[in-house]
Amino acid sequence: MLAVVQVLISGVALGCVYGLVALSFVLIYKATETVSFMQGELLMLGAFTALGLHLGAGWPLAVAALAAVAGTALLAAAFERIALRHAVGRPHLVAVLLTFGLGLMLRGAVASVPAAAQETYRLPLALDVVQIGAVTLAGGQLLVIAATLLIAALLTLFFRATRAGLALRALSEDARIAALMGVPVARMHTLAWALGAGLAALAGLLLAPLTFIHLNMGLVALKAFPAAVLGGLTSLPGALVAGIFLGVVEALAGLMLPEGVKDVVPYALLMLGLLLFPAGFGAGRAGR
Amino acid sequence: MTRTVRWRSVLSWAALLGLAVLAFGADHALSQATLVATYALAGLGVVVVVGQAGQIALGQAALVGLGAYTEALLVTAGVPSLLAIPAAAAIAAAGGALASLPARRLGGLYFGMSTLAFALIVEEALVRWEPVTRGAAGLAVPALQLAGQAVESPASQALVSAAALIGAMLLCTRLFDSRLGRAWRAVREDEAAADACGVDPVRAKLLAFVVGGALSGVAGALYAHWIGFISPDQFGLMFSFELLMLAFIGGAQRQAGAAWGALVIVAIPQAISVLRDALPGELARSAGLETVVFGAVIVAVVLLRPRGIAGGR
Repeated sequence: MLAVVQVLISGVALGCVYGLVALSFVLIYKATETVSFMQGELLMLGAFTALGLHLGAGWPLAVAALAAVAGTALLAAAFERIALRHAVGRPHLVAVLLTFGLGLMLRGAVASVPAAAQETYRLPLALDVVQIGAVTLAGGQLLVIAATLLIAALLTLFFRATRAGLALRALSEDARIAALMGVPVARMHTLAWALGAGLAALAGLLLAPLTFIHLNMGLVALKAFPAAVLGGLTSLPGALVAGIFLGVVEALAGLMLPEGVKDVVPYALLMLGLLLFPAGFGAGRAGR
Repeated sequence: MTRTVRWRSVLSWAALLGLAVLAFGADHALSQATLVATYALAGLGVVVVVGQAGQIALGQAALVGLGAYTEALLVTAGVPSLLAIPAAAAIAAAGGALASLPARRLGGLYFGMSTLAFALIVEEALVRWEPVTRGAAGLAVPALQLAGQAVESPASQALVSAAALIGAMLLCTRLFDSRLGRAWRAVREDEAAADACGVDPVRAKLLAFVVGGALSGVAGALYAHWIGFISPDQFGLMFSFELLMLAFIGGAQRQAGAAWGALVIVAIPQAISVLRDALPGELARSAGLETVVFGAVIVAVVLLRPRGIAGGR
């Protein structure tokens, strides 16, 4: 029983990271109708930037982390200004290829740094295990869950109470009417990409205590994709909940099913979910 | 396609091959030509699904992989190549049909996501089904046997793959001009309108994946023979995107596009090895150079030539 609780908690923690990456997909998709295939690379870049600033340049970890998130967001904003805005209103394939290409460039750039290409790192966080009753919990997992809750709260506040947040919501309802109502559409697209990239970088930092920082850590985004789609692709809470759900199911599958099944569970669930609920769980079985 | 255009493209390909022979030597040029033709054949499958039927296929490499594994396992078990290649095409076509099942309920992006999920499941299955596929360790594939002779020399390999490609292109020309080809393009332009005109979109999409899968499966079978060794990670997401990029670079709606796209995809690593000699030491040795150039080519093509190099601006 205790083992199950611990596995559940670790599933929730990993699911939080899936959920955050899924959130970043959905944020970008809702605002710009483009699918980003570079969230995994942005996540990896964010984690490595924080690591480099902390270990290489000697910045305090908190400052390095903030700078990494801000830097990744700025980079994505620049990408949007230069390249990604040309994909708006064109077939999905254009955005898919464009973001994949940009992602490859980021990945290649990180791989060109010999220290990054060859080794795996841990963020030097002093995280103890926490004892609650008979259950032993890893501090890193609790940190991830707490941080995700905080981010979710901040995002809710942003989308409900700020002008930019409301403008983004109006934009995703109907871009044309939003533009007529005075929403600066182009600037909002840039903002959406910056926010999405910042979230991905944050997810990278939060993934660091759970696994390692390495060149392929962006593969986690492949698991966040099913989460985003299962959540309905246009629902922010849906993405987060679906991410946590996938994390838990994956952890339980690892506990109970033969080896290897765990890794395909998100994709099997994605296909099943798409067949039964073509527009995500939120829309019910009626579909589109 | 008029007769003069066809002759002109045959001439330009012959001239290109001649140049390559002069530049790299006959053996190297021919083995590269083999790769170009095989990639083009796999890419033709993407052209059918993406360019003609207008679906987003993010998992085509899995179908190439199914073809390659079927061929490798059958040939190792003693089945003659001439029987094994159709079997590889059939298995890959069946895989395509399976991957297209969600199209009954979904369109566009959601369907693209389901092809991605399908490909990732196939890759994992190839890794885990160790008694048959030998898992991540991979399989060695014997040389292709045709009419009692092993196809091993670069010239004969190039000939076989060129013949397969030309055969597939002739088949596609017929197919694109047929009722089915028109149905594909109708679905691509507007699914609801096609449906209203009596085209069954589900059937059209299913057949696009079957034909596309069969083409990619044959390419996979040949690829397995040419490379001589296959493992699941060769048929991963990266290869799927390479094929997508190949079709896009060439101009996804044209058959000739697949060949031009394949040429670019095969040429990039070659160009990079030339570039490595020209660049100063530190930069040239960096491991990420190839990835950066690959990404930059995709970005540049998407931004500058949105209809591909064979399609004009």
